[in-house]
Amino acid sequence: MTRNGHGGPGRGERGGLGDEQVYEVFARKKRADRFQHIGAVFAPSRQLARVYAWHTYDEAKWFEMTVAPRNAFASVNLSHAPFTLGRADGSPERR
Amino acid sequence: MTASAGATFKSASDLPPAAYGHLGDLLLWLADNKRLLGLRYSDWILGAPTVEAGIACSAMAQDEWGHARIVYAMLKDFGHDPSALERGRAAGEYRSSELLDGDVSSWQDLLALNFLWDTALSVHFEALGGNRFEPINYKARKLLTEERFHFGHGQGWSARFLGADRGRKALADAFEAAWNACLCCFGPDGDPLVSTLAEHGILRCGQAAARARWLERVGPVAAEIGLARQEGSEWVSVSEPSWDGWDPVRRRLAAGGPDADSLARARGDRNRTLLMD
Repeated sequence: MTRNGHGGPGRGERGGLGDEQVYEVFARKKRADRFQHIGAVFAPSRQLARVYAWHTYDEAKWFEMTVAPRNAFASVNLSHAPFTLGRADGSPERR
Repeated sequence: MTASAGATFKSASDLPPAAYGHLGDLLLWLADNKRLLGLRYSDWILGAPTVEAGIACSAMAQDEWGHARIVYAMLKDFGHDPSALERGRAAGEYRSSELLDGDVSSWQDLLALNFLWDTALSVHFEALGGNRFEPINYKARKLLTEERFHFGHGQGWSARFLGADRGRKALADAFEAAWNACLCCFGPDGDPLVSTLAEHGILRCGQAAARARWLERVGPVAAEIGLARQEGSEWVSVSEPSWDGWDPVRRRLAAGGPDADSLARARGDRNRTLLMD
């Protein structure tokens, strides 16, 4: 099965289908586990984000997987996009 | 529902003679359609509109081939040699739909297979799940769990096409081309295969109820492009099935079969020298 590496796409890495946004993917293998951030997918809707996440991050038999749009997350201590994958406007991240 | 109460059938040899042949035929139809549908998904692993959609096609192709392999293996109990079924048949012996015979030329044509045809196959497995023929119950449940994501993919992409005038027209043309084959795959009124299996509780519903179930799933999208409408709580097709060319044995509407390339890939011809037994 084809898989993306952990981390997944960053905003601004791809053009074309302008209605897409980044969804962060979280999963846990057992009910007792905490959710882990396992990657991200580009998708135009929550429904396709679910499908893409399930098919892309299939390396484990997950007990639970969930997705959330990246723009739903509010950074606490950084002025730019969360998960340090790049600034919201696509410009290079400041170190 | 026409399923009758009664003891379950633990193996094919327990089946009533009238049902044995029909169930074997239905399973072969399902297996061939899964095998060819997997090929069509695989054609779009590279070249899908997005990387994620290509990964989804890869996963769906793998799923379909897995489902086909499981069902071919079951056919051993119905007097078939699974290896010969998978690797030794001519195109005209395949039971797969004419929709799957050759290349799918556009993404919206693939969506027609994904959303309409794949869902029609799932409705058949739903009718088989929890039936009196025990060997398929668990397999059908597992398979349908995977199919939820296939449906979500087709539905999600259809919604995206419906959001733009040009996309709506393209989707309408693709869905219309596949629509009648989907209506017909559930069988005509009085279809002996469906009637016999429903009578023995092996299919949980008859052809009309199965088609209604399929319309319930795809109707909300199909209505957007004029192929279906809602009447009360039910979804109905705007057009009646057209049975011209219906082959009741192969359960398809056209002669012929998979084209030469599809046949070679479905049979694994390139790997033939590796077969050890």
